[in-house]
Amino acid sequence: MTLTRRGFTAGVAAGLAAPYIIGSARAQSGGTIKIGMCAPITGPAAEAGKYATGGAKLAVEAINKAGGVLGKQLELIIEDDQITNPGIVLAFSKLAAQPDIVGFLGSIRSTQVHAMAPDVMKLGKPVMFGGTDPNLTKLGNPWLFRFRPNDSYSGRVIADYGVKTLGKKKWAVLHSTDAFGTAGGKALTEALGKLDATIAIDQGYANQSQDFTPVVLAIKQSGADILGSYFTFENDLGIFARQLRQLGVNIPWVGSPSIVNVTALKLAGPALYGTYGVADYAEESTPGAKAFGKAYREAYKVAPDNQSSWPFDAVNVLALAIKNAGSTDPQKIREAIVAIKKYPGAEGEYNFDKNGDGLHGYNIVKNDKGNIVFDKHIEFDD
Amino acid sequence: MSSTDQIQPVAALPRPKPLLLRHAPYFIAAAALVFLAASMRFDGYILNILMQATTFAIAVFGLSVVLGLCGQINLAQAAFFGFGAYAVGLGTTDYQLNYWICLFGGCIMALVAGAVLGLSTLRLGGHYLAMVTISFQQIVTLVMINAIWLTKGPDGVSRIGRPSLFTSSQSYLAFCVAVLAIVGYMVWHLPDTRLGRAMRAVRDNELAAGVNGIDVFRTKVTAFAISAVLGGLGGGLFAGGFAYISPDQFSFAESIVFLTMSLLGGVASPIGSAIGTGLLILIPEWLRFLKSVPGLYLAIYGLSVILIIRFMPDGIWGFVTAAYDRIRARKPAPAIGIPLVLKPAATGGDMVLEVTGLSKHFGGLKAVDQVDIAVHRGGVHALIGPNGSGKTTTLNVLSGLYEATAGKVLLDGTDVTTMPPHLRTAAGLGRTFQNIRLFRSMTALENVVIGAERPGNTMVGRGDATALTERALAALTFVGLGPRANELITSFSYGHQRLIEIARALAANPTLLLLDEPAAGLNSSEKLELHELLKRIAAQGLTILIIDHDMTLVSEAAQHITVLNFGRRIADGESMAVLRHPDVVSAYLGTD
Amino acid sequence: MDLVLQLLFTGIGIGAVYALVALGFVLIFRATNVVNFAQGEFSMVAAYIMVVCAVDLALPYWLSFIIALAGMAVVGLVFNLGVYYPLRHRTYLPVIIATIGASILMANGVLALYGPQPQVLPGWFETPGIQLGPVYLDSQYLLIIAVTVVLVIFNYWFFEHTMLGKKLQATSQDKEMASLLGISVSTMIMITFIYSAVLGGLAGLLVAPLLFVSIQMGSTIALKAFAATIIGGFGDVAGAIIGGLALGIIETFGAAYISVPYKDGFAFLVLVLFLVFRPQGIFGERVAEKA
Repeated sequence: MTLTRRGFTAGVAAGLAAPYIIGSARAQSGGTIKIGMCAPITGPAAEAGKYATGGAKLAVEAINKAGGVLGKQLELIIEDDQITNPGIVLAFSKLAAQPDIVGFLGSIRSTQVHAMAPDVMKLGKPVMFGGTDPNLTKLGNPWLFRFRPNDSYSGRVIADYGVKTLGKKKWAVLHSTDAFGTAGGKALTEALGKLDATIAIDQGYANQSQDFTPVVLAIKQSGADILGSYFTFENDLGIFARQLRQLGVNIPWVGSPSIVNVTALKLAGPALYGTYGVADYAEESTPGAKAFGKAYREAYKVAPDNQSSWPFDAVNVLALAIKNAGSTDPQKIREAIVAIKKYPGAEGEYNFDKNGDGLHGYNIVKNDKGNIVFDKHIEFDD
Repeated sequence: MSSTDQIQPVAALPRPKPLLLRHAPYFIAAAALVFLAASMRFDGYILNILMQATTFAIAVFGLSVVLGLCGQINLAQAAFFGFGAYAVGLGTTDYQLNYWICLFGGCIMALVAGAVLGLSTLRLGGHYLAMVTISFQQIVTLVMINAIWLTKGPDGVSRIGRPSLFTSSQSYLAFCVAVLAIVGYMVWHLPDTRLGRAMRAVRDNELAAGVNGIDVFRTKVTAFAISAVLGGLGGGLFAGGFAYISPDQFSFAESIVFLTMSLLGGVASPIGSAIGTGLLILIPEWLRFLKSVPGLYLAIYGLSVILIIRFMPDGIWGFVTAAYDRIRARKPAPAIGIPLVLKPAATGGDMVLEVTGLSKHFGGLKAVDQVDIAVHRGGVHALIGPNGSGKTTTLNVLSGLYEATAGKVLLDGTDVTTMPPHLRTAAGLGRTFQNIRLFRSMTALENVVIGAERPGNTMVGRGDATALTERALAALTFVGLGPRANELITSFSYGHQRLIEIARALAANPTLLLLDEPAAGLNSSEKLELHELLKRIAAQGLTILIIDHDMTLVSEAAQHITVLNFGRRIADGESMAVLRHPDVVSAYLGTD
Repeated sequence: MDLVLQLLFTGIGIGAVYALVALGFVLIFRATNVVNFAQGEFSMVAAYIMVVCAVDLALPYWLSFIIALAGMAVVGLVFNLGVYYPLRHRTYLPVIIATIGASILMANGVLALYGPQPQVLPGWFETPGIQLGPVYLDSQYLLIIAVTVVLVIFNYWFFEHTMLGKKLQATSQDKEMASLLGISVSTMIMITFIYSAVLGGLAGLLVAPLLFVSIQMGSTIALKAFAATIIGGFGDVAGAIIGGLALGIIETFGAAYISVPYKDGFAFLVLVLFLVFRPQGIFGERVAEKA
């Protein structure tokens, strides 16, 4: 049973490799620098997984075409994380068992990153991820690097835009009660507190609710003049948006990234017209974003979204760090990543801080009758 | 098989070797597994898979107790698993407690939750139990997600501790395997204990279990609590193994996974549970290629559940053992030289049973109305009447299956009117059913052993296994089925099943034996045998109250007859006189 | 007061949805003594058939509606033959588990065929709703309430005044007696499954414009509907309707006045309380097996 990892296209490899093969496959070590990636190849988020692996592969191909890193080609090894916590723990342990992998791409879901964090700590190699729970870079884990702005920034940007640009001070905060929603809601209320805005109502809801009438009525009664929201699932967002408009609430609404995603626009339709959303990836925001959009469209014939932009940046930054360090030693790579400043990525300008956060701001986009248009970028330097 | 005379009868059964000695191979194998888990070099992936399989299997063992042995559904095993996991998770992090205290606490929490849930709902059974356990599961999940102050909500708990003895993953795995082996041993042997037999009896036939002296409700609650504890234990070990837990790992979907694991392997046996758990953890890893189409894998999984239920009702292990059982001949039971001794208690004077003013109304229907019956000690008393006259209802009220609307029942001087069936049995009542109610998954011997286990049976000494087996064999030999004791109920003819049911009642050494139409469905030679048997029973001084349609049997066997019609007593007295009573004649011939 | 009225309308609307699904539960339970855990998936499958016909193939709405319901009749038939019929002589436990298996199969089969993205299905009416004084009445909810009322009347007429309905009644009350009267019990049970699948499908088609069409749409509703069935009294059509409405109202007011995140918990809490404290009172059936 001689298998070379190289012979596999990465996505299929995850599928066919029965556990017992791994032992023999591991012995192989070519002249490549290996990067491991956990992504949902199967399960409910398989569609998102395609975008993620697409973004990462795009970066790998471009780097290899330009001659690779330290004279070696990059190789991406993908494992299926099934979008579940046990799934990513297994996928990561499978990758971690291969000693020649120098760095990893984790998940866009915060709870999955939480789940794998102890193993990352144990392994002691750099892991790039896209989850936006602010706590993830405050775990005291030096090996986690974030490639999307965290929710304390989305909260601050929503608050900043609402208070300073739209001039509204009486807020309704609505968030789902899952990890993403609670962290976001907390970040938003904290940011509003610092801007001296009042919070008329702070409301959580459970995912997959069939009806939001009580929530809408509570918002209406609170007398809030602006709404900030963190929705996880598009169907909840759609039902809420429709009922909000039906019951006559027409206050400005600034939402987390899900408010501008394609599915939400399809489900909610006109109910979301005129709303604002924060977006980490907006194609019109920077030259780097534009270039990435063009390349992605050429390669895959569809428009990219934030599922694909962060893995693209993560691979590029990791390659740059290896080049700057001149070595694949984990500690040296880590130091090189932290030293990266003003790197123009697809998501924005990366300035890594000591926590491992690369981005410190968000774009604000507006839903203009179903079209998403770039409004402004808000950046923080702390 | 009728070669009783060729086997040298022995006075008593030889004492078996101590259990621990006989099962030495199991412990040697288990020790070898623990050693392998501790010493082999696994990579992280294999280690995680093994850790998951081991801890899940413990929870699935719980299901094999509650569902496999006791026949009660539990769709909340993931919630109990979560209790253990959160106790260890929060205990070792937020509260900085010792791992062992947390693990123990988690098991206790699961135990209490399981017992309370069981106490409040197990009287319902069936669908309601399914629904209540689902509800419980959903509420627990909601609390895990929303009670952030307590559970940290959807973020989950990370950096969960392990005992200082087992900090490395390998040693911890070895520890989990050891726990699995011990729990597996206990679950494996549970069916042969008194409690295990009671559970199987409840599963096979709740009513018969009750009238054989088993406290059905308590047995169910115990099974449920054991299942919950094993869920909690598995969860506690799981939390230490993975160091991170979050609410989505303990959702309703996971409960279904546990259930399927248990069904796939074979719900009745821990070996089946282990097989099922292993397969359901490994198969998804092997079938990853199916997962490139979202949903396809789970669709196939759903289809397999239907097919397994349809074609392998006892799971993979059940399928294998059934095939093995077909090849292997049942060992004939050793012949036994001890005759069955019936020594009915006699504390209440001349009357064994005194029924006064007994009524049972169903809504407006007076099925039994103001009936008096007095059964004298010794001999056979018959209760007869045309169809629908209230005979069987009377018997059901007497044995406690129905609650009396009015009246009083004295058994050997004790007032049993408000007692549940199992307490009446303990007080000395034995009965059989018109439509035979044996425990169909067991052997004849096991059925009769359950009878012999009646609380208060003075004929089995301290009730140890050997004494019970001796008593049961003696009872089976008494009805002529001794050599076939080790055969399954299903291999017996209808007539023989009746005899086994009578033997089961006799083994309990009752004070009064109620026989509900024992001759129904028997051919004429079997009826003759039955008549002979009744004589032999009566000869030992045991009082019999019999219901039957067969007038020949009744008139020949019974010395005393009570006649019911339309729920009322229309005649009572010495057999021949009663049968000639004009009211009785007209009730039967319908001349009125 | 305006608030209460608005909540009441929503509660009744969502309650009517539960009631429709509960009706399917009750019919199957009465006929077979089995709880069908795949009842919610009937609603989901029907909604996807509707999306394929009305959206993807752009067939007329009414025609798609009929095709979807006809499709559900076939699903009900296959379900009866594949899941219930082979197990009809076994105890309730294997049947329950087989229906759970069927529910997993249907949900993920649709996922495999159609993908995970939720879909939009337009409603019956162009106008989304009407403002009646302080209360906004969503037209789709109005339709659902109307259909529920019509179905209650139809069921009454069907079971009390038609031959087929009476035969179904007889079968569900006493199978032995029914077969002695020359009624084919297995045909009656098959008809029950078909009717329940169509009813479940109808519920799915009516809620799809409100809740969107997704893989999970059936299971959450079905669990609540099952709770409604128990609260209302198992085996009783009117009880299921009342239970459904009660649950919808309890849930909506519970969310408004007690807690939004625990909204789904109210249904189960009420259910557990009912089961523990008043089981016989609501079921009106003997829990013990007859000797």
